[in-house]
Amino acid sequence: MNFDHIYSTYWQKIFRLCMGYVNDFDLAKDLTQDTFVIVWQQLPHFRNESAIGTWIFRIASNNCLRQIEKQNRTQKVKLPTHLQEDNSESMESHIQFLYQCISELPEIERIIISLELEDVKQAEIAQIVGLSEGNVRVKIHRIKEKLAQKLKEIWTTI
Amino acid sequence: MDNDINFKDLWAKQKVAEPDKEELLLKMEAFKKENIRKIIFSNILLVATSAFIIFIWVYYQPAMLTTKIGIVLIVLAMAIYMFANNKNKPVFNITTTEISNKEYLEALLAIKKKQQFMQTTILNSYFVLLSLGIALYMYEYASKMSIAWALAVYGLTVLWILFNWFYFRPKQIKKQQHKLNEIISKFERLNQQIAGNQ
Repeated sequence: MNFDHIYSTYWQKIFRLCMGYVNDFDLAKDLTQDTFVIVWQQLPHFRNESAIGTWIFRIASNNCLRQIEKQNRTQKVKLPTHLQEDNSESMESHIQFLYQCISELPEIERIIISLELEDVKQAEIAQIVGLSEGNVRVKIHRIKEKLAQKLKEIWTTI
Repeated sequence: MDNDINFKDLWAKQKVAEPDKEELLLKMEAFKKENIRKIIFSNILLVATSAFIIFIWVYYQPAMLTTKIGIVLIVLAMAIYMFANNKNKPVFNITTTEISNKEYLEALLAIKKKQQFMQTTILNSYFVLLSLGIALYMYEYASKMSIAWALAVYGLTVLWILFNWFYFRPKQIKKQQHKLNEIISKFERLNQQIAGNQ
């Protein structure tokens, strides 16, 4: 597996995962870079025991979890209020709301929903997180309900 | 489930310019250099002090066994301290790529708990060895002084050691433990999020 190929295929995906986790643009970028530093270092040791995607997502999510050890830099980005008024930017604000809502979930749920939204198979999510597949399915269902409710509340007030 | 489609759609729209790979390579280089510099820097003190003590040993040829034992204890104390300090960091990343979040959190928690124990043990043995080493080392030179001077020198040294033991050491331990406890409780909370669901 070639690093350049991995880099271009997974950069955006890993960035979104990190962004869902911290909802801080610069921090998410740093976390993504850290992930690829580890991928670069560990790629020669990759043993094909799992799919490459599962492997990378596992490194990324573990790296996010490790984040808690460092300083509490994870302040939530507050949404500028003028965005809510402007129609042309409402799509932009919808995206921001989604990421904000996700970053307010408990940490493990953030990882699970981010992987689900990234179209990772539930069996793989189970492998990445270390839960059973059944558990993951139930969790995803609940998280989506929670998110839908939160977003509806926000969108109806816009 | 149309909520689902909306989510995935919105989710995928978050984009950021993919940074150049060169930037990543530069970061890696800087990271490596930084690590090497840290290791060198934290060891310079040990090497310099040890070299100085060994120089004294060779140059002044201490006659008594106590002096030699003292020197060995002092160097040993510093070696243990530096070794523990160096070992703390890079242990991770290597084994952590093939394991799930659950196992990762468990591993981190285990490492942190071990660190909690090690820090106190190492700090204690560092102080004991160092104090003992200094006391033994000084004996030969003090025995050549007048009694008054010897008492003064030993008195001051003992005072300094006591101050370290009862003031500096507990303070240092408390600081380290506080930091670790905070991290441990955070990891425990994360662990609970997974374990609570099984």
